[in-house]
Amino acid sequence: MTHAMTRRMRLNAVLAPQAAVQNQGPAEHAISEMRWFPLREPVSGRRYTLLRVKTRTGLFGWGECSQAPAQDALALEKEWIGKSATCFAAIDSSSPLAGALDMALLDILGRACRAPLYRVLGGPTRHKVRAYTASNAAGFSAVEISVPKPASRNQGKAYENQIQALVKQLPEDRDFVLSANGSLTPGDAASVARTIETLHPLWFDEPCSVSNLDAVRKVSNETVTPLGFGRSIADAGIFQALLREGLIDVVRPDIAHWGISGARRIAVLAEAYYVAIAPHHDGGPVATAAALHLAASVPNFFIQHVPLPDDPKDREMRAAIVSGALERPQDGFLQLPTGPGLGIQVNESALEKYHAA
Amino acid sequence: MRRRSFLSLGTAGLALAQSRAPKRAILDCGCSLAPQPQPGRGQATLAGFEPLQSGLKVTGMKVFGVSLTRTSDRPYVFCKLETNQGLVGWGEGTLEGKAGAAMACIEDFREFVVGADPMQVEHIWQSMYVHSFYRPGPVMGSAMSAIDQALWDIRGKALGVPVYKLLGGPLDSRGVRGYYHADGVRTPEALAKLRETAIQQGVSCFKTGLPTYYEWIETRKKISAAVKSMQVLRESLGPDIDIAVDFHAKTSPSVASILVKEVEPLNLLFIEEPCPPENVQAMAKIAHRSTTPIATGERLVAHFGCRELIEMGVVDILQTDINHLGGITGLWKVSQMAAVSGISMAPHACEGPIGGLATLHVNSAMPNFVVQEICGQIQPGPTDKIWQEWLGFPAMRMVDGRFPLAQKPGLGFDLTEEALAKYPFGGTRPMARVFHEDGSVAEW
Repeated sequence: MTHAMTRRMRLNAVLAPQAAVQNQGPAEHAISEMRWFPLREPVSGRRYTLLRVKTRTGLFGWGECSQAPAQDALALEKEWIGKSATCFAAIDSSSPLAGALDMALLDILGRACRAPLYRVLGGPTRHKVRAYTASNAAGFSAVEISVPKPASRNQGKAYENQIQALVKQLPEDRDFVLSANGSLTPGDAASVARTIETLHPLWFDEPCSVSNLDAVRKVSNETVTPLGFGRSIADAGIFQALLREGLIDVVRPDIAHWGISGARRIAVLAEAYYVAIAPHHDGGPVATAAALHLAASVPNFFIQHVPLPDDPKDREMRAAIVSGALERPQDGFLQLPTGPGLGIQVNESALEKYHAA
Repeated sequence: MRRRSFLSLGTAGLALAQSRAPKRAILDCGCSLAPQPQPGRGQATLAGFEPLQSGLKVTGMKVFGVSLTRTSDRPYVFCKLETNQGLVGWGEGTLEGKAGAAMACIEDFREFVVGADPMQVEHIWQSMYVHSFYRPGPVMGSAMSAIDQALWDIRGKALGVPVYKLLGGPLDSRGVRGYYHADGVRTPEALAKLRETAIQQGVSCFKTGLPTYYEWIETRKKISAAVKSMQVLRESLGPDIDIAVDFHAKTSPSVASILVKEVEPLNLLFIEEPCPPENVQAMAKIAHRSTTPIATGERLVAHFGCRELIEMGVVDILQTDINHLGGITGLWKVSQMAAVSGISMAPHACEGPIGGLATLHVNSAMPNFVVQEICGQIQPGPTDKIWQEWLGFPAMRMVDGRFPLAQKPGLGFDLTEEALAKYPFGGTRPMARVFHEDGSVAEW
């Protein structure tokens, strides 16, 4: 045996034969069908895909992902048809469609238990959900604003002034998230973070790319402005690394990518570092419902982004495909859906109408 | 008024000062940071939960100390919660050597639980943890564990499913892999017989301890004897049975480092608690110098308590105990956090049958689960008989190397107060006190 064999490799060698064995008993609420509904908002052009999972026992559940390439969808169906729909812990989180499947299976579990999902998961931990949006919709008390594209790289003060002017257009009592979408250089990101410190944003979102942790360290070291990261993170280990070094103030796993269970796992991790979760969301209303249940089942949730489109035609679509006033906040807060599972009714005829070719 | 002259007035002066300022409330704790009533906030916000509640309410809480023998150092500490709809839930908070403290602490949490919606377990857990102000150690952790398990028992019953289904399990419907202890089995003959029985019963793993107690630095004789004791295990049990050795923090980092390295060729499943748990850096020193997997965690509370071990790459396998770390909620959170770092789970449960059965539910939904501990031997003992008498089935006995999963809702058993009454609380007894040859205090 060489000393190149690490402790962990040794353990993996012991565990590998066990991992091969799985669920061999009769499946309860066995999955009979998985169907994907690609959708497109008519004006914004934003796309998302709904997943409907049916069981042999007549239950069904809904999930959502950004898109479901045929190959991934087939692989998932091959793995899950015939398996127990309540066994959501068995979802392979490395599948790009894990989030959608997780939502659908939890929806089924909630319906099987005749209880709203937040109750199945040990909540509610809160009775309403703080929300913000980048749109002009009413009822929100916080807004997301995006940084303008800099005229050139690392231009310093001129760009800082531009950001200050942008923020100062907001009413005094309006909370805001400043989003850079990972687009700034570390230098610009750090100077913008510093310049908005006294304007007290909720946080500065994706000031720079997380691919270079040294760059994130630089931004974090130079400012007390809270920093949010996560929209593009597909590996929980990156959240772990950011949390360990104290580089992140708001973890932002994408709800459609991670599903409720994946986002909850990251919330647990963040909880041990006294850090809040505010899931990233750029999809449709099924994912909004999932985010609401997540918010009400973890202790360290802070606020939910609602990607409401500006055009009324697009909003009409969102309201048409999912029942209720899911995405309409009052005094800055969304209400929790109280029906079983995700607590939503999906209108299948509307799915046909907005089907994306 | 200056502080000193104010104090010199004594109690009469204090009364006078109060009467002059009747509107200022006197706070019990004398702490100016205690929460002040805020208009529209504080307690009032809990009213917002009303429309979201399940209709179930906890109406009663009973705490039981149960001593199987008059001298038991670990009387079981059980908690029973009653509800307005007749459903009851059982939980366990047995704390070895500190039964009275754990029982009293459960009582201290009464206001957090009675009157609450038992479905809101995460909210109740958070409130117990956060609003205790002093962060939970083992006493508070065990009390929270008892309450948390009882709440989950009710939750499962109310929703009509075994608890593991609420956690997304079972990942293996055959049950949960476990190991027995092989205490005192040390000769090649006895071990060969154990191997035979294990193969017949399908048991795939054992754990044992070191043969004696160890000082800060050890003699050649004792080091060699310790290494030999582990070699005999592997030689006699063969290559296919997993072997774990519990150092039980009997060894210092200096002694443990030597032993852990010497036994590398034995391919042990893990070595447990190679040194005491308070100093993560010390355990790191041992772990980083060997390829033998390190397990620890039975004395830790909540996921907060495991963070540093995971961060520093000290631990390969976490062994947190559902009766001490915060119940099902706590164990599930630790497993989730560990999974992100590739750390495995082999939970400890060496107390009563409620915690033992509860831990199986969580294990069944852990992607990173390895094996479950129970302080039983391959041949059933008197304790196993009592558990069967209480529950009507052989709790925590493996079938084909696995603990079968519950089929009934909740934690999956029925238990009556009458059954426990045969074993009344015999008082708190300390755990064993062990001393070295020179009379100094030894870890065991």
